[in-house]
Amino acid sequence: MIRRKPIARIIVFVVIALALVWTLVPLAWILLSSFKFETDQFSIPPKWIPDRLTLQNYARFFGNTEFVRSLFNSVLITFLSTAIALILGVPAAYALARFNWKHANAIAFVVLLARMTPPIVMVLPFFMIARFLNISNTYLPIVLALSFFSVPFAIWMMRGFFQEIPSSLEEAAMIDGCTRLQSLRRVVLPLVMPGLSATSILCALIAWNEFLFALVLTGRDTRPLPVLVNMFVSERNIEWGVMSAAAIITVLPMVIFGLLVQNDLVRGLTMGSSK
Amino acid sequence: MDLRRRFSGFTYVLPALVFIVVIFMIPLTYTVVMSFLRWNLLRPDLGIRAAGFSNYERLFTDSFTLETIGRTFYFVVGSVLLELLVGLSIALALDTEFKGWKIVQSILLVPFMIAPVVVGFVWRFILNNDYGPVIHFLKQIGLSGLTDKPLLSNPSMAMPVLILADAWEFTPFVVLVLLAGLKSIPYEPYEAAFVDGAGSIQRFLYITLPLLRSSMLVAVVIRTLTSLRVFDIVFIMTGGGPGTSTETLAFYGYRIAFQSYNIGFSSAINMLTFGIAIIFTILYMRVIGGGKNYD
Repeated sequence: MIRRKPIARIIVFVVIALALVWTLVPLAWILLSSFKFETDQFSIPPKWIPDRLTLQNYARFFGNTEFVRSLFNSVLITFLSTAIALILGVPAAYALARFNWKHANAIAFVVLLARMTPPIVMVLPFFMIARFLNISNTYLPIVLALSFFSVPFAIWMMRGFFQEIPSSLEEAAMIDGCTRLQSLRRVVLPLVMPGLSATSILCALIAWNEFLFALVLTGRDTRPLPVLVNMFVSERNIEWGVMSAAAIITVLPMVIFGLLVQNDLVRGLTMGSSK
Repeated sequence: MDLRRRFSGFTYVLPALVFIVVIFMIPLTYTVVMSFLRWNLLRPDLGIRAAGFSNYERLFTDSFTLETIGRTFYFVVGSVLLELLVGLSIALALDTEFKGWKIVQSILLVPFMIAPVVVGFVWRFILNNDYGPVIHFLKQIGLSGLTDKPLLSNPSMAMPVLILADAWEFTPFVVLVLLAGLKSIPYEPYEAAFVDGAGSIQRFLYITLPLLRSSMLVAVVIRTLTSLRVFDIVFIMTGGGPGTSTETLAFYGYRIAFQSYNIGFSSAINMLTFGIAIIFTILYMRVIGGGKNYD
């Protein structure tokens, strides 16, 4: 082992270096492009770092009411669907973790199936129902659709966090005269706070990045950022600079939040199968 | 007491359960009903008529369905295999905990937080035939034969490029899962193997890989389920083209519904997609069920 160490270290170094290049090339290109003048976007051969940089692309993004509206829509839709997910999901997760029912597994299966259902299966009926109820131009269809993904997700993830807290803690509180609700609020909730913040960030990540439902269920006034990005790509003359700025604005909040909870990502995304 | 506990527990679950069932079952039932109708939004004059099994008949006799399933599995197998291989190498490298590994890990995770639509946009940009840096690089190292035609308009290259873009986004997920698996492997078997004189390759083959099996299974099944539904990057990078060479099941269902407005047939396609998802969900339940025995 000791003799092999230098070779092993070289291999590790090479793998890490390749992985970093693979990850960073597209990211760096889009980041640099968002600071380039429009004329530098089209230079042949492509220039990584142009002679001059500009904030003009970001200024144009924030100067366009349609773009700012999309940003606002993304924030609103994400916030509402995450709130619904937590309000409905957390109590359910708590109950599923604490009580042993005969049908707990059946409930768990429905929850998992809802989570695993391909969005394409749901999007057409959602669209037809929204059309029928004449609510196509409101936020309601998209918020409900996104909650449909995040409620099961919140249940699965929070259940794992609740299961880790020994129920003897609550029993002690209840013997001391707390009701179940009080012991939940004063004893259990503070302990699952890290899990709760990870869960809400991941619910937000799902909602913020979702595209298919947003594409079909939102209109001019309600469309979020991913649909905006798509609209400009499908047009003939792509304004790469402004779109790169829009891409960075779309990506940045979720990257920051996501990295904050990276340690809890695994559990959330594997639905509690690995701890 | 027991009865009261049970009752109060149920009231905690009820709102969420009602929400899921309503939001899930109503649209699902609606899809089932629509799949038995002849219904085209562009032909309101024909109205909505019962179609019996004709949508399914068309679905299962049309060779295009089989080709689409084939393309979907090409994408799924290609991306999941690539992600597993690359992800395993990166996870093993990160497991050594060199100086600064925390920062490296954070950087490698970033693509996973990015909206798939943006991933598609970024890849279209860097692969642009005129001013994309990657294409320019390929030309410089003498692979210009590959880039005579724009990559995404080349029927045999479009799908591999989609697989690459998908792997760029989701390899970090596989890395996370496998890294968690690696960290949970106890140290004792390695010590024993070392004492017995096993080399590092033997230790990897006979200790690491078998103990990592359940983590790999979890990663593979979840990635299979999520890449079966691939839509976003197909939509933004190729639109299913050139021709139909990158059209997957999800995109097929979308195109028939929102470009041909054939609601009935699209619903039948989506039921097929749903059926495949159910099979993999049950498989997944088995996998976690099996995993629990080892805990």
